[in-house]
Amino acid sequence: MTRKLGVYVCSGCGIGDCLKTDRLAEIAKDELGAAVVRSSAAFCLEDVQLIRDDVANEGVEAVVIAACSQRVNTDVFAFPEATVDRINIREQVVWCHNAEDPETQSMAEDHLRMGVARSLKRKPPVPYVESNERRILVVGGGVAGLNAALNAARGGFDVVLVEREARLGGVAARLHRQYPKHPPYQAPEEIPLEQLVASVEAEDRIQVYAGSRVARVSGEPGHFEVTVARNGTPLTFVVGAIVLATGWKPADEARLQRYGYGRVPNVITSLELEDMMMKGAVRRPSDGGAIKTIALINVDDATDEQQIPYSGNVESLVALKQALYLRAGDPDRQVYVAYRYMHAPGLNEYFYKSAQQDEGIFLTRATDRSVSRGEDGRVFVDLDSTLLGGRLKIAVDLVVLGTGMEPAAPETDGLNLAYLQGEGLPVNRFGYADSNFICFPYETRRTGIYSAGCVRKAMDLAESARDGAAAALKAIQCIEQSSAGSAVHPRVGDLTYPEILTRHCTQCWRCTQECPFGAIEVDQATRTPRVNPNRCRRCGTCMGCCPMQVISFADYSVDILSSMVRASTLPEGDDAAPRVLVLACENDAYPAIDMAGVNRAALPSSVRIVPVRCLGSVNRALVADAVIMGYDAVALMGCRSGEDYQCHFIHGSEVLQTRIANIREVLDRLALESERVQFLEVQISEADRIPEMLNAIVEKARALGTSPLRYTVE
Amino acid sequence: MNQILAVQPDLEFKRTILGLDAGDLSACYQCGTCSVVCPISTDDDPFPRKEMVWTQWGQKERLMHDPAMWRCHQCQLCSTYCPREAKPANVMAALREYSVGFHAFPRFLGKWLSDPHYLPVLFGIPVVLLLFALALAGTLTDLPEGEILFRAFIPFLYVEVIFVIACAFALVAGIVGAVRFWRGAVKAMGDPGGAKVTSWEAVWAVVRDIFLHRDFNKCDDERVGDRPTHKTHMPTSHMAVFFGFGGLFITTTGLFIGIYWFDFFPPMSQTHPLKILGNVSGIAVIVAALVFIFRRVVDKEKAGKTTYTDWLFVTVLLLVAATGFLSQIARTADLPGLAYPTYFIHLTLVFFLLAYSPFSKFAHVFYRPTAMLIARYQEARHRMSG
Repeated sequence: MTRKLGVYVCSGCGIGDCLKTDRLAEIAKDELGAAVVRSSAAFCLEDVQLIRDDVANEGVEAVVIAACSQRVNTDVFAFPEATVDRINIREQVVWCHNAEDPETQSMAEDHLRMGVARSLKRKPPVPYVESNERRILVVGGGVAGLNAALNAARGGFDVVLVEREARLGGVAARLHRQYPKHPPYQAPEEIPLEQLVASVEAEDRIQVYAGSRVARVSGEPGHFEVTVARNGTPLTFVVGAIVLATGWKPADEARLQRYGYGRVPNVITSLELEDMMMKGAVRRPSDGGAIKTIALINVDDATDEQQIPYSGNVESLVALKQALYLRAGDPDRQVYVAYRYMHAPGLNEYFYKSAQQDEGIFLTRATDRSVSRGEDGRVFVDLDSTLLGGRLKIAVDLVVLGTGMEPAAPETDGLNLAYLQGEGLPVNRFGYADSNFICFPYETRRTGIYSAGCVRKAMDLAESARDGAAAALKAIQCIEQSSAGSAVHPRVGDLTYPEILTRHCTQCWRCTQECPFGAIEVDQATRTPRVNPNRCRRCGTCMGCCPMQVISFADYSVDILSSMVRASTLPEGDDAAPRVLVLACENDAYPAIDMAGVNRAALPSSVRIVPVRCLGSVNRALVADAVIMGYDAVALMGCRSGEDYQCHFIHGSEVLQTRIANIREVLDRLALESERVQFLEVQISEADRIPEMLNAIVEKARALGTSPLRYTVE
Repeated sequence: MNQILAVQPDLEFKRTILGLDAGDLSACYQCGTCSVVCPISTDDDPFPRKEMVWTQWGQKERLMHDPAMWRCHQCQLCSTYCPREAKPANVMAALREYSVGFHAFPRFLGKWLSDPHYLPVLFGIPVVLLLFALALAGTLTDLPEGEILFRAFIPFLYVEVIFVIACAFALVAGIVGAVRFWRGAVKAMGDPGGAKVTSWEAVWAVVRDIFLHRDFNKCDDERVGDRPTHKTHMPTSHMAVFFGFGGLFITTTGLFIGIYWFDFFPPMSQTHPLKILGNVSGIAVIVAALVFIFRRVVDKEKAGKTTYTDWLFVTVLLLVAATGFLSQIARTADLPGLAYPTYFIHLTLVFFLLAYSPFSKFAHVFYRPTAMLIARYQEARHRMSG
């Protein structure tokens, strides 16, 4: 049953000056069978009512709007009763192509045909709404965890807080002072931990399990089944989302040996100094002697594998804090601070200034530090490349090393996930729970599990508190979206999810491995893959990897994309214009092309652009279809892969590149040039490179000549 | 520069410098803008960035033998461009002031000159000496009758004896201080590596630079940026004082020669070339001293506080010239009651200016040329080491 199609051709924003819009309308009516076809000088203004009326009164179910990019006016062109497809003839056609060139009109017509093909093939989504538990689990009772629990509870959600130790507070309970959080940001402050713990304990909505561990987590957002080991007895309950705030641990002592730790007496870490201060007095560990001179050394100068990664500004500011309280404790003390980088961001600059003002605090950068045993229990510190010019040697009573904050290993030690892809959270090269750190700072690669505090990055107490609150908000957001059957970040509001036509599945389980988020498990009974819809982020990597093409979404499938490609037309004749199919990632490449249009760059009109959710969703069957149909080249435009990946879905462009290798083999077997398929790496900010990239691929296609397959398939 | 330095910050020293109107020093975060904008600073030995951190670290020995502070001519460009308002120029001035006391020989005089409590003693010395001379001449109780003749008030011989001794003392003390400074600086530089410590060409170049005020002019001619500084009057004002003093020196020496070789006794007629030179020079000194004082008062906010030693020196300078003129005017107007006391004060002030020159702000006449010479040596070393 074909749904009733309405096509709306806009002529505003210069479209009418460049294209024959009446010709587009004619194609829609005569060739594509649209029941309703309308034109307007600006559908985004009051004429949007025409579309609304058609949906309401004419029964239009499939709305296709040929106007601006799908990235703009999304709120205007939203009709809940109908599906909406947008044909981008503004940014990607009229704004970047020559009005005189007949190829420009041809490009717009092809994009119209492709959009209508998609519109007719797609099905309205049926959301998955079966998992809707609203409780939140917070793992870790430090400052981040306490704040997460408190904020979630105050937001109206029940919280279970699990802390490994018998008491709440985490590392903050060990700290003597914190660096200032209030104006004028000059002196170290008391840590208001007791109030925080008290308010958590007083909160009715928060159930605290201290001295407990998370033994097992299974399920999906909206329905995680959690087992907690409490005094040896397991306790099982269900939560909707999880905040992981397991904090940090001091760096491996072996890494501090280069700074004399464990080798030279009277060398301690900054955390040990805090312990000493909490006990009341600072004395030399070796003989209990008084301390008059102290060197505070940041352990950030190593360039080799001994490097202690990322304590960031915390190490710098802790050194300043300790310098100031050591001086306040005894005005005759001299405190040296050696660092490679002094980070005092934002308002902390005032604190840095206040340390500068103290006449007994001596600050210097130094690139190389060595610590050796001196006489009478003193310690020699050698500093090189100092600001004072050359090397310095200082004799001190005590050396305090930056502790080095390593995240509490989320990959091995945390939630014990009952996931096929592993029990832990995947981590990046610094050991922090991996995600797209810039775009989605709190997300881990397990949807519904949000990291906060020092397990996410090294940070101080105030930032941990904010982080806990922020992660709690993400958890709430996740619960709300999941219970409505909608995707959480980045495709917020997407109601589709992967559906597997299991009777055609060969049980290769590649989808279970390639899914960046561990959303697909193996059904123990049928041995076929089983999707946990709420774990899914709808990238379509499963759809792209499936060798049998049995995975699809209601509005996005290999068949839909293939139909779009086949809906385009290829010119015939000996000197026919080249045609290049561009499969552009919606997150980076597609906006970059839009931006090139906004900048009125000149782009080649021989390209046909199809947006894809992620390059990971591009199935090799789709590329093969395009080649067999007669496209001269296929360009796959996506983001940077590897260690500093920019992919919203972690490794979409990476897995695609291995697929390309397979596709190229097929091309070689067909006696076609394998260069006809190319991967183009582009960042969202690289709109200026778009003309050069697209022109290059079109020139390549021209050079290779018209595909010999162009005439073989209708 | 790569010798290991055992650091022992001298907090007392740091406090003293901070107290000498360099309290903003702590704000320095070592960006080096000051060294970049300084027209005199060289690539081989840039300043005042390192002097800032040395002072923060209480590196007294290193600083006291550092020629940079004396190469600075206080144009204030560094302070004008400092992003932290750490006022490097004030630090350099404070270091100079401290170093005058540090190298002083005998040391107690250095302390006396920087402490207002000793001011009566310092003035007391010339007053007692001159009163003693008056007593010998018999003019202590009875002023000479008739035409005003200063040599009748106090005989030349006495004046010459007092002032030759005072100058000789100042010269010896100044040279001792300068030599101490020189030795420490050369030692701090380490092994000369074959470079000749100094040469007559270098000495000649320094003399030439001083006479032409080359470094002063650099401050104005080779400046970067267009922000106004508060010491742009300095090259001109200093030149006026410098040549004014030169003129007065020639006048005095000429007079000395006239008296002892040609039996030529003052007063000279107003049209005598030597007299004209003396008067013009005196006016130059007065005008320049007034400009110095005026700028210090007017630019107080921007140019920083003027310390005790600054005021002492510039005031004495002004008063020396002013009392000189006043006694001349009183003499011409035949006012013995005014002329003789003014002349007495004039001599006291001249004594103060000359005898204490190695310990007051005047000490720069010893240290600055020494530093310029050291800088030449430093350059030669850098050239040799490529």
